[in-house]
Amino acid sequence: MTAGRVVSAPAARVRAARPAVHRAPGRWAVLAALVVLAVVMLFPFLIVALNAFKSPAEYSSGNPLSLPKGLYLQGVVDFWNRVDFGEKLWNSFLISASVAVAAVVLSILNAYALGIGRVRGRLWVLVVFLVGNTLPQEALAYPLYYLSKQVGLYDSKLSVILIFTVIQAAFGTYLLSSVLGRFPREILEAAALDGAGRWRALWGIVVPISRPTLSVLLIFFFIWTWNEFFLPLIFLISNDNQTVPVAIGVLQGEKMMDATMSSASALLGIVPAVAFFLIFQRTLTRGVTVGAVK
Amino acid sequence: MFRTSRTAALAALAAAALALSACGGSSDSGSSGGGSQGKTLTLWHYEGADSAMGKAWAEAVKEFEASHPGVKVKFEAKGFEQIQKTAGMVLNSDQAPDVMEYNKGNATAGLLSKQGLLTDLSEQAAKRGWDKLLSPSLQTTAKYDQRGIMGSGKWYGVPNYGEYVMVYYNKDAFKKQGIEVPTTFDEFTAALDTFVKAGITPIATAGAEYPAQQIFYQLALTKAARPWVDSFQLYKGKVDFHGPELTYAAQTFADWVKKGYIAKDSAGLKAEDMGVSFIGGKFPIMISGSWWYGRFQSEIKDFEWGSFLFPGAQLTPGSSGNIWVVPEKAKNKDLAYDFIDITMKKEVQNLLGNSGGVPVAADPSAIQDAKSKELIENFNKLTTSDGLAFYPDWPAPGYYDVLVSGVQELINGTKQPAQVLDEIAQPYNDNLADIGN
Repeated sequence: MTAGRVVSAPAARVRAARPAVHRAPGRWAVLAALVVLAVVMLFPFLIVALNAFKSPAEYSSGNPLSLPKGLYLQGVVDFWNRVDFGEKLWNSFLISASVAVAAVVLSILNAYALGIGRVRGRLWVLVVFLVGNTLPQEALAYPLYYLSKQVGLYDSKLSVILIFTVIQAAFGTYLLSSVLGRFPREILEAAALDGAGRWRALWGIVVPISRPTLSVLLIFFFIWTWNEFFLPLIFLISNDNQTVPVAIGVLQGEKMMDATMSSASALLGIVPAVAFFLIFQRTLTRGVTVGAVK
Repeated sequence: MFRTSRTAALAALAAAALALSACGGSSDSGSSGGGSQGKTLTLWHYEGADSAMGKAWAEAVKEFEASHPGVKVKFEAKGFEQIQKTAGMVLNSDQAPDVMEYNKGNATAGLLSKQGLLTDLSEQAAKRGWDKLLSPSLQTTAKYDQRGIMGSGKWYGVPNYGEYVMVYYNKDAFKKQGIEVPTTFDEFTAALDTFVKAGITPIATAGAEYPAQQIFYQLALTKAARPWVDSFQLYKGKVDFHGPELTYAAQTFADWVKKGYIAKDSAGLKAEDMGVSFIGGKFPIMISGSWWYGRFQSEIKDFEWGSFLFPGAQLTPGSSGNIWVVPEKAKNKDLAYDFIDITMKKEVQNLLGNSGGVPVAADPSAIQDAKSKELIENFNKLTTSDGLAFYPDWPAPGYYDVLVSGVQELINGTKQPAQVLDEIAQPYNDNLADIGN
């Protein structure tokens, strides 16, 4: 939900990396800085991975940074069984995937009207979307709770899917509207001359050309929804509906924390998101640079 | 081309997921309420399966199913945070469980009772004899008045276990310095001095969380009597923050830091750091709660350890553990009462005691493990002498953080004890005004 979700950075890096091979010492400084940054970023993951494979006694007698003596898998296995992790994975996947698809569809429909259709008062509509996007989730919790109780969706996955579809689509609409605002008119005019209606122009022209942006949005929506904690915590009451982050929260006791099992759960929790990212990172690097005339 | 087809495949997959979840969602909301009336008891608690409570309550579930043929127990393990954040909402919906563990105290169980979300258990407590099993200081957290303040009024919860603060000590380190277990406050400070002289910081604590403020409160309690606790915790009188109790506590705590009993760098530590450093043998003494007991039993391998009650104090921080509550919207209240009753029985309580917990109604002779015996005997000593004084952060909402920063200032020496007392008096008195005292 933060402002830092601009997606073009990886694309920029790829472009910058190519000519680097031949050039000079300054580049090495940049490389060194990037390596340091990468180490800093990876450090928490390293600690999690180290402690996930320690026994609780080993953790307590050494320190968080000591290397595990052997591979202690019981923490991972115990956590998996305790929360029925397979079911949680499926729930998370179901919710994230549904939200990602539905939010992208909703965003493109909204953005078509706002960015290309140029409906009246579109600026204000966008401002409203932006405000909706910046509202803290804590403020939404109670109204949504009463609404979902009224319509009988409290404690169901559908309630979370609907809520996040709207939240993510608010951001998607905002982003896509500005992208489509610069969509080349000539293409649309050409399509109109060929007899394509608005509906046809959307699905036949705008969507195929914007596909890279749409896939990036899809992936980000998936990962963001996957990592959501607060609203799923409130809306997914029964254990059979819970998502991965909520299940990880089960380990945080009142006064006690089980550091090794928490690490094991954190590892299990991030692995799917990292895997998803790795599989689709090529799509991500295409960035949001659309609108070029073909 | 490859990329395009993959995105298309993903989209198709996700669309299928959406369709699936759409039907899943509606059927879920219908079925999880326990449609088969009187046949399923829904139980929620948030204790780990390996903890003393987890083991004992699993046994209680077995006994319950044996004594109630045809009734199934649907147990859901919850997270502490989830219950804290969502209890009010869940209990106000038809998804409420039949019986659940909940935090004792004015801000939690008290608040829910005031909102009418909890069932009045007074009649059951009298009928089933819970009021006789539990000592008065344990009943304090079970009863709440119309304002939601604990200590009097109706029964809204039933505590099943207890907890209290004690002094954990490293027997090997004590032996090495030739120190006997202290029985008076002077002997205790003499022992601390001996360690300091030998170049060892004696007390492990953590200023960023509850441990340091519990030492502070324990010090105040060495000069306090029951009426002072009733004033401080139950608002039965006025608390003078510059009176002898708290002045002594602040002054002594600051002195302890100066004398090197408490390390200066402990201001920023968390409870987990404290526990790990004691387990690692880096400090000979740790003053904290019985919730560490089970973990120490299983994780301390390199030295002998033991525990004693804070020397020279009649009162000790401690209370009942969390309580069983029955939501007002529970569908099977009679089954819930039966379940609570089973958890109070000797067999379940003894199992709780033998697993490293503090039972409230066990048979001390049935506890085999020597360490567990020590733990429970000390607790029974406290309850029979009415020595549980609750925790310092209870009286006002958000008071925990006030105390954390106050005690941190004492450790860092950034403020004088008197200034710190002014600082912690303010929010306390504001709260009194809020509740109309």
